[in-house]
Amino acid sequence: MSPLAFVAALFATSVLAGGAGAILGLGGGILLIPILTLFFGVDLHYAMGASIVSVIATSSGAAAAYLKTRLSNVRIGLFLALATVAGALVGAALAGVVPTRLLQLLLGVALAYSTVATLRQIRIELPEPTEADPLALRFGLEGVYYDAVLDRDVKYRATRVVHGFAAMMGAGLLSGLLGIGSGAFKVLAMDHFMRLPMKVSTATSNFMIGITSAASAGIYFARGDIHPLLAAPVAIGVLVGAAAGTRLMTRLRNTTIRKAFLPILGWLAVSMILRGLGLWLP
Amino acid sequence: MTATRTVDRLIGRILMVGGLVSLALMLTGLLIYAAHGHPQAREIVRVVHNRAAGRAVDVFTSLGDVRRALAQRPPDPLAVTALGLVCLLVTPVLGVAAAVAGFLRAGDRDYAVIAGVVLAMLLASFALAAGG
Repeated sequence: MSPLAFVAALFATSVLAGGAGAILGLGGGILLIPILTLFFGVDLHYAMGASIVSVIATSSGAAAAYLKTRLSNVRIGLFLALATVAGALVGAALAGVVPTRLLQLLLGVALAYSTVATLRQIRIELPEPTEADPLALRFGLEGVYYDAVLDRDVKYRATRVVHGFAAMMGAGLLSGLLGIGSGAFKVLAMDHFMRLPMKVSTATSNFMIGITSAASAGIYFARGDIHPLLAAPVAIGVLVGAAAGTRLMTRLRNTTIRKAFLPILGWLAVSMILRGLGLWLP
Repeated sequence: MTATRTVDRLIGRILMVGGLVSLALMLTGLLIYAAHGHPQAREIVRVVHNRAAGRAVDVFTSLGDVRRALAQRPPDPLAVTALGLVCLLVTPVLGVAAAVAGFLRAGDRDYAVIAGVVLAMLLASFALAAGG
């Protein structure tokens, strides 16, 4: 492949990853790392460095727009960031001590269960109002956004906050232990446990993934894994894609976003179980 | 709710400006690099495929590296790109710092503390990365 074709293909891939990441609340690492290593033949360390940059680019590109349209909830994001960042710090400290394979296996099984649970609520556009959670009331974990598809303001309030917080702690622990992003887990915790509207879940995850990834970005930079010739075109493409993705997302139904999210969840469950069983190395 | 909207807008503005500044720096560095016809510009495919080759030529591993390369005359264009990447990496941290300030100004002590704890943990992780 010629250098120009390489950069052009890289840019186009990054635009798509940024767009998908902005809509689904993911950093794009789950899409970018396999594409960069398998299709572009990029060294795994550089692919991971580019991925962490892409997570922050997605977050910066999308969260600014989502905060403006009130889809991203700063209070919920910061409250849950307490759990993810603390989990990531503990995870980084425990790396090498904890049996990661067992953890991956347990997580894979939990994700498989969540995939089935998400499948059951696939047609639910907005969660039914439930009994108020005392923690949600105490910390104001609620909000309102204008839904362009439904053409009305949608009010929401978090439920099962303890479950969501624990899931976020697990997500952070995992990203610290294994060096992987955890956007999918954040969306799952907000959508499945805390019963927030799917759009609010993905938009708030977008705000949060930048914060969680910033915690480990310094490590990648110091290791020399962030190569400017690779990471910069990826970041530029992702920023452009994420900005476009935010425009598309507001016009999508919550159910459509959940349907697009489900295969990612299933893929994660399978890959975690296979890794836990030692059947898959990357 | 109004206080929250003010904080939302403040963080949103920080994230947008951070994104745009880093975008401008990365693009400028890459364009100058390509225009100067650096040998590695034609070898990008080889460089990113081979970690040892890539590290030898173009990778910055500290802010000191970036600063020294920017101080050269003419400045190293890839250092401009690397500076853009650094700007991007610190943007979320600035967003959280803005949240602390915004919630304090709005008199919301609970969330000023929550954002402050998140910021402290982020700074601790940077310190750990620098130490490691």
